[in-house]
Amino acid sequence: MPTIAFEHIYKDYGSLRVLADLNLSVDDGEFLVLLGPSGCGKTTLLNMLAGLQDVTAGTIRIGEEDITELDPKDRGLAMVFQSYALYPTKSVRGNLKFGLAAQKLDRAEIDRRVQWAAELLQITPLMDRKPAHLSGGQRQRVAIGRALVKNVDVFLFDEPLSNLDAKLRTEMRLEIKTLHEQTKSTIVYVTHDQIEAMTMATRIAVMDGGVIQQFGTPDEVYETPANLFVAGFIGAPAMNILDATITSSGPQASATLSDGTKIDLSHYEFTANPNEGQAVKVGLRPEHFDTSGKGGVVSLTLPVASRERTGSDATIFLKFGDDLIAVRAEPAEARDVMVGDNFAVSFPAGKLNLFDAQTGQRM
Amino acid sequence: MSTMTDNFVPRRKKRITGRSIAILAFLAMCAAFFCIPLYVVIVTSFKTMDQIRLGEIFSLPVTWTLEPWREAWSEACSGIKCEGVSAGFFASLKILFPSLILSLSVSSVTGYALALWNVRWAGTFMFILFMCAFVPFQIIMIPMIILTGKIGVYGTIWGVAVVHAVLALPILTLIFRNFYKDIPGEIMQAAIMDSGSFWRIYREIILPMSANIFIVVLILQITSIWNDFLIGITFGGLNNKPMTVILANTVISATGESSYNVDMAAALLTAIPPLLIYFVLGKFFVQGITAGAIKG
Amino acid sequence: MAIRWSRWSPQIALAPAVIVTAVAFIGSIGWTIYISFTGSRRFPDYAIDPERWSRQYERLAKDRAWGISLDNLIVFGIGSLLAIVFGFILAAMIEREKRGEDVFRTIFLYPLAISLIVTGIVWRWMFNPSLGVENFLHQLGWESASFDWLSSAETAMYGIILASLWQSSGFFMALMLSGLKSINSEIWSAARLDGVGVFRLYIEIIIPMMKFTFLTCAILLSLGVVKAYDIIVAMTNGGPGQSTWMPALFTINAYSAKSNIAYASAAAVMMLVITLAIFLPLLLLFIWQQKRRKAAVA
Repeated sequence: MPTIAFEHIYKDYGSLRVLADLNLSVDDGEFLVLLGPSGCGKTTLLNMLAGLQDVTAGTIRIGEEDITELDPKDRGLAMVFQSYALYPTKSVRGNLKFGLAAQKLDRAEIDRRVQWAAELLQITPLMDRKPAHLSGGQRQRVAIGRALVKNVDVFLFDEPLSNLDAKLRTEMRLEIKTLHEQTKSTIVYVTHDQIEAMTMATRIAVMDGGVIQQFGTPDEVYETPANLFVAGFIGAPAMNILDATITSSGPQASATLSDGTKIDLSHYEFTANPNEGQAVKVGLRPEHFDTSGKGGVVSLTLPVASRERTGSDATIFLKFGDDLIAVRAEPAEARDVMVGDNFAVSFPAGKLNLFDAQTGQRM
Repeated sequence: MSTMTDNFVPRRKKRITGRSIAILAFLAMCAAFFCIPLYVVIVTSFKTMDQIRLGEIFSLPVTWTLEPWREAWSEACSGIKCEGVSAGFFASLKILFPSLILSLSVSSVTGYALALWNVRWAGTFMFILFMCAFVPFQIIMIPMIILTGKIGVYGTIWGVAVVHAVLALPILTLIFRNFYKDIPGEIMQAAIMDSGSFWRIYREIILPMSANIFIVVLILQITSIWNDFLIGITFGGLNNKPMTVILANTVISATGESSYNVDMAAALLTAIPPLLIYFVLGKFFVQGITAGAIKG
Repeated sequence: MAIRWSRWSPQIALAPAVIVTAVAFIGSIGWTIYISFTGSRRFPDYAIDPERWSRQYERLAKDRAWGISLDNLIVFGIGSLLAIVFGFILAAMIEREKRGEDVFRTIFLYPLAISLIVTGIVWRWMFNPSLGVENFLHQLGWESASFDWLSSAETAMYGIILASLWQSSGFFMALMLSGLKSINSEIWSAARLDGVGVFRLYIEIIIPMMKFTFLTCAILLSLGVVKAYDIIVAMTNGGPGQSTWMPALFTINAYSAKSNIAYASAAAVMMLVITLAIFLPLLLLFIWQQKRRKAAVA
C-alpha cells in the first residue's frame, strides 16, 4: 500500500525557485493537510503530485513506484478542485462517469460504482441535473463523487471548501472526515484555513516560502510550534509573542520581560541550551492564561485596553508597553472588567513557548 | 394607509430633452443614408424597363413586376451562358459546405490544442498565424494556383473550397484559441486527470461547450465565403463560378443596353442569403466580426 | 516508463495547421518573393539573372499604372479614415441616446453583410448619369448638381470612397460601440456630477481612454485599404482609363491580363511591403501601449 514520498523536490518558474530540496513523506491512510498562506508553494506541491505541473528536479513516489514522469491519469489519484471543475455540459451522472474515462471498465461496473458514490454522498436524486442547476454544497458533493468513483487509494483536495459559506463548510468538513475514516484512503489536502487543518488532519505540514516549517500531528503543531512562523500562523486569536532576555541558565533558568517581569523557566523543556543575556521571544497562548492571577511561571497585572465578545468566548486585551496581550476569558468575566481597570493574570508552567529571537526557532 | 397616499405627490415624468431630439434626428438622417441604396435597389428590381428609362430612381414601381427576378434567376446572360444567377447560387452552396467543414474542424482543433495543451512552440506558432492573418492574398495567389493545379483541384469546387479554408485558417484558429483559453484551468486539469486523452476531452468536454463560438464562426465564414469574389474568380475556373462572379459578369460585362431591373434583382438575389443570416442572427454576426477584428 | 501520449497528441493534432501555414503561407510568400527576381512570364522560370535581378521592380517604378495605383492608395486611405470618424460619431450618439440602439445598430451595420460586388453594383446604379441620383436632382430643379462621379477620372475615386464608407462605417461603429461600453459607467456619472461639458468629456477623457480601439480600427482599416479590389471591379473596373487602379487590381491584372508571373509577383511583394510598412508600426505602437498600461497597473 502506498506511502507518498517527495524526495529532494525542486521547482523553478523560469528563474524563480519556489521549492528547494523539499522532502516529505506520508504514510498510508494518513490525512495530510498542507497548510500555509497563499503563495507558500502548497498548491504547487499538490499539482506536482497530481502530475499537472512538471517537477524541475527530484522524485515523487507512491509506494515503491516512481511516478514523477507518469501521466496524471496513470498515477492512481483522484482530485477535488477548489472551483469543483465540474464539466458544465454533462449531467451529474455524466460527470461521475467521465471520471472513469481512463479506466477500462465494463458498463455494469461503471454503473455500480456511480450508484455507490451517489448513495454515499446522497446525490442520487440529482443524477440527471446539469451542474448549473446545483447549489454550492451539491456541486461539492458531485466533485467528491467524481473522485470517489475512481476507487483509488489517494485523494487530493485543493482548498475544496473555500467557496462554501460558513455553515456548509462545517458540515462538509465532517463529511470529508467521515469519508476518510470509511474509505481508509490516503488524503492530501491543501488549505489556508487552520480550522480545517486542525479538525481533519492526522498530520499537518505547515508551509511558508516554499519550505515546510513543521510537520507533525495537529496537537504537536499547536502545542509545540517549531518556530515563530508556525506559532503565529496557528491559533486564533494568535499567540502573544513577547520580547524577553535570558537572565540565568542552568536548572534555575529564568528570563525577564521588557518591563522587568521575571519568568520562571525551571520547568521549561529546552531543546537548545540558552545563554545568559540571549534575546528570546516568549509565546503565550491567550487561552492558557489563568485569570485568577495566582501562581504560574509569570504573573502580570496590566490595564485593560479593550474587550471583545466572540460568541461562546471573550477576549480581554491588556496593555503591555506598546503591545497588546490577548487573554481568553469567560464572557461573564469580560463583562465585569472596565477599560482602564487593572487586571491580573498568570501563566501556567508547561504551556509556555520559547523561541530564539534571532533564528525564530524553538528553544 | 390613507395618510400614505395623501403624501404621495407624483413628480412629472422627465420630458424628452432637446439634445435627445437633435441626436435622434441626426441618427435618423444617417439611417436614411444607409437605407437609401437598399430601397433604390428593391424598387428598381420591381420596375419595368419602361419606367426605369424615365429616370425616376426613387419612385415606387407603377406596375409591380416579378419578371426581372425571374429573368435574373434563370435567364440573365453571364458571358456566353444565359442561365441566370441560379447556377452561381448552387455553385456557391457547393463551395460553402466542404469549405466550412474543413475550416471549422481544423481551426477548432488547432485552437483547442494551442489554448489548452502544453505545446512549447505554441507562442511562436500563434505569432506566425497572427502575421499570416494579415498578409494580402495576392502574395500567395500565384503559388496557390500552381499548388492547386498540381493536386488537381484547380478549377473545381474543391479548389475554391480548399483555398477558402486555407485563407481562413489563421484568423479562425486565433478566434477559437481566444475562446478556449477562457475555459477554467481546473476543468481542463480535472479532464486530464480523468481521461488524459486529447481527442476524448475535445469530443466530450470541449466541443459541447463550444456551441456559441461555433455559431459565431460559422456565420462569419458563411458570409465571407458567400461574399467572396476574388478567390471564386481565380480558382473556380469556367464552370464553378460562385454567385458573386456570375453576378459581376452579368452586370459589368454586359453588352448592349443594360436591363437595370434585372441587374438589381440579380444583386438582391446574391445579397439575400447573408442578409437573412444578418437579420435573423445579428447578435452572433456582430460577435463574429468584432472577434475576427480584435483578436485578429 | 509509459510513453506519454498526451505529449504527442496535441502536436499531431496541430500538424495540419502547421503544414498549411508552412506551405500555403510561408512557403508561398517565399516563392513569390523569389519569383519576383526572375524573368518568368506565363510559367515560372527559376533562373535569376544576377545582372538584372531587380528588373521587375525597376519596371514597376517606371510603370505609370503602378504610380496611379499608389496615388489612389493614398487617396483611398485618407478618404477611408472618415469611416473611423463617422463610426465613432455614430457610436457615441447611439451610446449617449440609448433609445433605438438596436434599430440603429442593425441599420448601420447591415451593409457589412453584403458582398462588395453587390455594394459596387448598387452604387454604380446610383451614380448612373442619365437615370441615377443626378437625374433625380436635375428633375428636382437643381440643374447644376453633379452626381455622375464615376465617369470622370477626377471624381471616380471619390465615388468608390463614398461606397466604401457606406459599406464599412457600420463596422467601425460596432468596434467603437463595444469600446465605449467597456468604459466604466461611473466615469459618466462622475463627469455629470463635476459638471464637465460633453465635448470636453469626449476630447479629454473618453477618446484618450479608447486609444486601443482607435488603434485597432486604424490597423484594420489600413489592411482593408491595401486589399481593396472587389469594389473597384464592381464600380469602375479601374476606369475611366486607369484612373481608379489600386495595387491589388494592378497585381491581379499583371497576372491574368498580362500573364506575367514575375511582374505580378513583384507587385504582390510591394503590396506586402506596404502592408508591413503600415501595419508593423501600428502593431508596435499597440504593443507598446499595452506594456505601458500593464506597467501602470502593476
